[in-house]
Amino acid sequence: MASSSSNLISLKTSDGTVFKVERALAKTMKTVQAIIEEADANIYMIPIHNVFSHHMDMIIDYYKLSVAGKSKEFSVEKLDNDELKDFLLAVHYLNMEDLFEVLTQAVADRLEKKSVGYVRKYFGIENDFTPEEYAAIRKKNDWAFKGDDIEPEEDEEKQEE
Amino acid sequence: MEKKATPFLPLEMIIQILLWLPVKSLIRFKSVCKLWFSVISDPNFANSHFLLAQTNSTRIVSISAAPPQIRSIDFEALLNDGSASPNPNLWLPQSYFPLQMKGSCRGFIFLHCSSNNYLWNPSTGFHKQIPLSPIDSRFGAYFHYLYGFGYDQSRDDYLVVLLSYDPAVPAHFKSHLEIFSLTDNTWKKIEDTRIPYRGHYYYYYYPKVGLLFNGAIHWLVTHHGSSVTVIVAFDLMERKLLEISLPYSFVGHHCVSDIGLWVFGEFLSLWAMTDGIVEIWVMKQFTVHYSWTKTHVFPIGAIPYFSPIYSTKNGDIIGTIDGTGLVKYNGQGQMLGHCSYCDDPRGSQVVMYTESLLSLPGDHEQV
Repeated sequence: MASSSSNLISLKTSDGTVFKVERALAKTMKTVQAIIEEADANIYMIPIHNVFSHHMDMIIDYYKLSVAGKSKEFSVEKLDNDELKDFLLAVHYLNMEDLFEVLTQAVADRLEKKSVGYVRKYFGIENDFTPEEYAAIRKKNDWAFKGDDIEPEEDEEKQEE
Repeated sequence: MEKKATPFLPLEMIIQILLWLPVKSLIRFKSVCKLWFSVISDPNFANSHFLLAQTNSTRIVSISAAPPQIRSIDFEALLNDGSASPNPNLWLPQSYFPLQMKGSCRGFIFLHCSSNNYLWNPSTGFHKQIPLSPIDSRFGAYFHYLYGFGYDQSRDDYLVVLLSYDPAVPAHFKSHLEIFSLTDNTWKKIEDTRIPYRGHYYYYYYPKVGLLFNGAIHWLVTHHGSSVTVIVAFDLMERKLLEISLPYSFVGHHCVSDIGLWVFGEFLSLWAMTDGIVEIWVMKQFTVHYSWTKTHVFPIGAIPYFSPIYSTKNGDIIGTIDGTGLVKYNGQGQMLGHCSYCDDPRGSQVVMYTESLLSLPGDHEQV
C-alpha cells in the first residue's frame, strides 16, 4: 500500500519511541526531509539518532505553538543547562532552523550577564591564558566586567574578602 | 548507564550562540580562552555580529568638558526605569581634548580634534588617526565646517565628508567639498560647479553634524543666492550632492527658533521648534518632495529645549534636552519620561551610536 499519500511520517527516537508527525512538521527538519527525498521506495519509518522522546515532545510543542502564531510563548526555562545543551544538539542534528535560532538565543540569554568563570564551566573550557596574559586583557576590558547586573568573577570575590 | 558527561558543543554552534550576545558580554568573554579571544576579535565575526545585532544596541556617548568625562549610556533603559549603568571607564588620551564628536557610523564615532581626526569605537577602544583635511589644516578656525561621516556599502569604505566655507566672504560665495576615503587614505577635493551652500544660520555657533541616512549625509543649509533653507544630501556611493527642498508648510516660518534633521523610523524627518511647540515632518518617499507629511505637532511643556534624535519601535520620540538629559514623548505628544545623564549644567556633547565589534583596516592602536 502506498503510504506517500499519508499525511503522517513515522519517526523513531533513540530510545525506541515512534512518533507519528504531520508531514509539515517533518518538513521543518531538513535532515528528515533529505532522507524522505532520497528514499526510492516509500519510507516506512525514519530513525532519528541523537534525538530522544523528551526532545520530540518539546519539538511538537514548539511546532503547535508556531502554527498557532504563538511561537513567542515557547519556553525552555524549565530545562537545566545540560538539558538545554542536549536539546540544542538534537535540534541541530535535525537541522531545524527556526527552533535552532530560538535555542541559541536561549543559551545566549542565560550567559549574557555571567562571569568568565561561569562560561568556562558551562562549555567545559580550560583557561589557557597565563596569569599575566589574563591580567592584561582584563585590565584593558575592565569596563565589560563592571555593572550591577554582571556576575563578578570568582577571583574577585575572594580578593574583596 | 553511567552519568552523562556535560554535553560538548562544537565550535560552530558556540559561534551561533555568541552572535546573539551584546558587545559588552563578548568583550568580557574574550578572556574565556585563546580560541574565544581570536574568534571574537575576528573581523568576519564582528561583521556577522554587527549585521545581526543592529536593532538592539543603540546608545549615546556623552562627553562633558570639565572635568572631561566620557560616558556611554543605554538611553532607552535609562528613560524606562533609570536602570542603565553608564560605563564610566571610557577613556581617550588627554591629547585629544578639546574635541568634537562629528558623527557616528557602524559603531565608530568621528572625533575632530585640533590637530587630527580620529575614528573611535567606544565599545572596543579601537581608534585610528585620520589627517585633517587640507582646508581645515590651512584655514583652521577662520572657516566654518559641516562634517559628515558614513559608509559606502558598494565599496566597503568609510567616508568623512566636509563642506567648508569662509563665513566672512559675502560676494562670489563658494563652499568647498572634500572627502576622505579610508580605503584611499587620502583627502580629495570634489571639484564641482560652485557649491552655493552655507551652514544654516541657526548653526552658526553650534554647527550640527551631518545626518547619515539612506547612504547619504544630509545637512540643513542656506542657499547663498536665494537665502532659502534647503537640505543637501551627499550620496556616498555616487559621490554627488543633491538638493532637497523643505516641506511647503515649513517655508515662510519666521518665528522658528530651531530646526533639525533626524531619522524617524525609516524616514528622513525634519523638526522645527516655534514658541515651545515642535512640528515634525517625514519624507515618506525619499527625495520626492510632495511626500513630505506633517506627522506631529505638540507642545514640549516645561522642557527648556528639545531636539529629537531617536524613535522607538512603537513610535515614541526621544530627544535631548540641551545636552544634560533626555525626554520621551509618545505619538500623541504626551511626555512619558525624562532623565538626566550629565551633572555639569553646561551640558555635554552627545552622539548616538550603535555598539559594534568592528575595527578598521590599516595601522591603528588600542586605546
